[in-house]
Amino acid sequence: MPAAAQIRVMVVDDQMTMRSLVRSGLQQLGFQDIVDSSDGEEALKQILSRPVHLVISDFNMPKLDGMGLLRALRSHGPTSKTAFIMLTGRADKELVQKAVQLGVNNYLVKPFTVQTLKDKIEAVFGKLT
Amino acid sequence: MIKPEHPSFRADPASSKRIHVVQGEFAVTDDAEVMLGTILGSCVAACVRDPMAGVGGMNHFLLPGEKTDAPPAATPGSLRYGVQSMELLLNALYRMGARRERLEVKLFGGARVMGGLSDIGQQNAEFAERFLAAEGIRTLSGSLRGDQARRVQFWPVSGRVRQMALIDQSKQLFEAERARLAPVPAAADDGELELF
Repeated sequence: MPAAAQIRVMVVDDQMTMRSLVRSGLQQLGFQDIVDSSDGEEALKQILSRPVHLVISDFNMPKLDGMGLLRALRSHGPTSKTAFIMLTGRADKELVQKAVQLGVNNYLVKPFTVQTLKDKIEAVFGKLT
Repeated sequence: MIKPEHPSFRADPASSKRIHVVQGEFAVTDDAEVMLGTILGSCVAACVRDPMAGVGGMNHFLLPGEKTDAPPAATPGSLRYGVQSMELLLNALYRMGARRERLEVKLFGGARVMGGLSDIGQQNAEFAERFLAAEGIRTLSGSLRGDQARRVQFWPVSGRVRQMALIDQSKQLFEAERARLAPVPAAADDGELELF
């Protein structure tokens, strides 16, 4: 069982409020190594310079959006297997389906609870300790 | 052009240029003749516009929803939360050409609910102010808090806003809002997509 504290997470959302929400939820679940970014371009730079185990990313963002970030990660050998959970609104089902084709691991509908966040992460990594 | 961004978007049958934004919904437009209207008790509406792009919109939310221990979303309940409502409104405006740095916001509502309950109006007002400050979006004016319901009319392209106090209807409106604040049943899942 993976330890939450050992999993490095990148949270990507152009809205600071949403980044804070996700970070707060992760901290409640025991995650300690959390970085964040307000757009996909900056997130990609950070991930390439220091890899993460999990990306939790919004889709509607300036510069590089979530789909672009997912595509870039999947097409780059060292990051091609990085776990990727997308943040979405209920209205974004077409985006979810496109993301599935690109290899997204799971999706999280906003607004969400800590329990839902945990369930989605555990669906990717297995039960957390 | 009027852009309904939610299935329950409603146009006033009396005129195609008047749109009533009901609780938990939002609408955006780039039509200078369109007026967005709503009635607020403890709820808050953000009237947002980008004067350069000539687009604007209004939302109407019931609860802040900025805590991750909030009840799970259930359609159409998720838009009752401010954090979700603000994000969807802003994203809709960005898709129409708005830019965050040019946005101007006027906030309305957040009146005190009568009768010893927690002051949801105050929580909504504080959330809206905190959200906009955190996101670096300019708040121009508005009318928050107080103890009376309001009718708000907003012409998004010009930025004109009109507010009327609903003195006689406040009690009725607060009671209707209180009924809508009842917990929304948890969704069976997060949507119709089964991925895993």
